[in-house]
Amino acid sequence: MARYGMALDYKNCINCKACETACKEENGILMGADKHRIWVGTGEIEGEYPLLDLTSNVFHPSQCQHCDDAPCEEVCPTQATYTDENGIVRVNIDQCILCSYCMNACPYDARYVDDRTMTVDKCNFCAETRLARGETTTACQATCPTKVRIFGDLDDPNSEISEVLRTREHYSLKAHLGTKPKLFYLT
Amino acid sequence: MALRELVNKIVPIKEDFSIKSLLGFKKTPLNVLVSFMIVGLILLLVWGIAQYLMHGHHAYNVSREHPWGLLISGYIFFVGTSTGLCIIASLGHVFGIKEFNHIGKRTTLLAIITLLPGFIIILSEIGHPVTMMIYNILTPGITSAIWWMGTLYGLVLTFIILEFGFALRGDHKWAVRFGIGGLIADVAAFTTLGSVFAYLVARPIANGPFIPLYFLLTAVVAGAFFMFMIYGFKHKLNFPKEVEVTLIKLAKILGLLLVVTMFFEWWRMITAIYGGMPERADTMMKIVGSSSFWIEMLFAWAIPFVIILVSKGKAIKALFFAAIPALISIFLMRNDMVHYAQMAPMQMLKKTEYQLAPTWIEYFPSPVEWAIAVGALGVCFLLYYVAEKAFDLDEDEHH
Repeated sequence: MARYGMALDYKNCINCKACETACKEENGILMGADKHRIWVGTGEIEGEYPLLDLTSNVFHPSQCQHCDDAPCEEVCPTQATYTDENGIVRVNIDQCILCSYCMNACPYDARYVDDRTMTVDKCNFCAETRLARGETTTACQATCPTKVRIFGDLDDPNSEISEVLRTREHYSLKAHLGTKPKLFYLT
Repeated sequence: MALRELVNKIVPIKEDFSIKSLLGFKKTPLNVLVSFMIVGLILLLVWGIAQYLMHGHHAYNVSREHPWGLLISGYIFFVGTSTGLCIIASLGHVFGIKEFNHIGKRTTLLAIITLLPGFIIILSEIGHPVTMMIYNILTPGITSAIWWMGTLYGLVLTFIILEFGFALRGDHKWAVRFGIGGLIADVAAFTTLGSVFAYLVARPIANGPFIPLYFLLTAVVAGAFFMFMIYGFKHKLNFPKEVEVTLIKLAKILGLLLVVTMFFEWWRMITAIYGGMPERADTMMKIVGSSSFWIEMLFAWAIPFVIILVSKGKAIKALFFAAIPALISIFLMRNDMVHYAQMAPMQMLKKTEYQLAPTWIEYFPSPVEWAIAVGALGVCFLLYYVAEKAFDLDEDEHH
C-alpha cells in the first residue's frame, strides 16, 4: 500500500521527448498524435526581436494528475475508472463502455481512446508494466536525461518525493477545482 | 388470429388493423412522398448503424478534444422532446386541466415514440452497449450522472408504456398512477441528463445549475412545438373545436415558456461574459458570434413568441408553420449546446501539442453521425403511423 505521486522539476526539461517515447515503448501505446498518455507542452517564444520574452519558451511535461478526488472516477457510470490500493487512478477495460464522459470530465485532457480495445486509456504510472514487475520507477522517469521526474510514495516520509516536496516550493495544476492532484510542479 | 387475440387481451387494437391496412393508405402525392421519406430515413438509419457496427467510433468525427458529437445532441433532442410531451400529456390527467384530457393518450404515445429513437441513437453512441447493460447493474457508478440518467430513462420508458397501455384499456385509475410515476421519473431523468454537463467542473461554460433548468424548460417548449406539428398534420390544419381550444391553451403556455426561455438565454449570456472569466466569457463571445445561435434565437424562440403575442395565442395555424423550423432550430440548439461545452481548448500546458497550437476545437458531424441522428426520425414517424392505425388514440368521453 502506497500513495504514489510525481514531482516534476519542469524547468530542467529540454523537450527531448524521451519520456513520451519511453512511455509508448513500455506501455505499448499506439502511434499517432492524439494517442499519448504523457506529453510535453511547448511554449513558443513571444515578443519581437530583440525584445524576446525568453520566459515564454518553456517546456511543460504533463499527464494524468492521479487526483485524490478524480472527476473522471466520479462520473464513470460503471466504475471502470477506479483508484487502486496505491492511489493510482486506473481503468478496468472490461468495464469501460466508452461513453467518453471521463474524457469530458477530466480537467487535464489526460484521456484518449485506445483504438485496439476501443476503451479509454490514460497514464497509470506503469502499474501494469514496471510496477507489476516490482520496479520502483516509471518509464518516463527512468529515461529522463535531466531528471525532471521524481516518482514515489507520498505517504513515506523518507521517500525522495516527500523530501523534495518538503524542501522545495511547488504548485499543482487547476488546484482550485478541488481535484487534489498528485502531480507537483517544482518551482 | 391467435396473436391478435393475445394482443387484444393486453391492449385493444383496432378491428381493421392489419398489414394490408398499413399499406392501404390513400395514394395522394403527399402521402406517397411522406411514405418514401419514412422509408428513406429508416434506410439511412440502417446504413448508419451498419457503419457503426463495422467501424465503431471511427465512423464518427469525434476526437480526443471533442469526444461528444451529434449523436449525443440527437439523443438529447429526442429524449428532451419526449420529456416535454410527457409533461404536456400529464396536464390533463395528472394536473386536472380538463382541456388537455382528450389529448392524453396520443401525447403519451408521442412521448414513447420520441423516446425510442433517442435510445437507438444513444446505443449507437456508446462504444460498448452490451457491457453497459451488464456493468450498469453489476458495478453501478452511483456518483455518475450518466448512470442515474440511464437508469431513470429505463423507468420512464416502463412507466409511460404502462400508462399508455392502461389508457388504451380505459383503466383511468392505473393510467394516472403510472402517468404520475412517468412524469416524476421523466423530469428527473431529463434534468439529470442536463446535470451530465452541469457537473463538468472542467468546462466552465457548462458547469453550474443552468443546464438542468434550461433542459426542463426547453423540453416543454420542444414538446409543445411537436404537438403543433403532429396535430397540424393530423387535421390538415382544419382543427375541430375541441382541438382548437386545447392548442390555444397550449399556445398560451408556450408563450409564457418562450419568454422565460429568452430571459434564461439573456442572463446566461450576460453573466457568462461579465467579468471576463477565461473559458467562459471567451466561449460565450464565440457562441454569440455564431450564426446558429441567432438561428436558434430567431426561429426557436422569437418568431413563435411574436406569433403568440400578436395573436394572443389564437394563431395556431401560423404556429404549425413556425413549429417545424422551431424544432429544426431546437435540434441545432442541442447540437450547439454539446459543442459549446467542449469548444474551449483544454490548454493544460499543451502550449503546442505535437506542433499544433491549441485553438477553438472544431467539430462537424460525419455522414454516419448525420445518418443515425436524422434517420432515427424515420423510426419516430413509422411508429406513429403504425400506432395511429392500430390504436384508438382519441380519448373516450367518459374519462
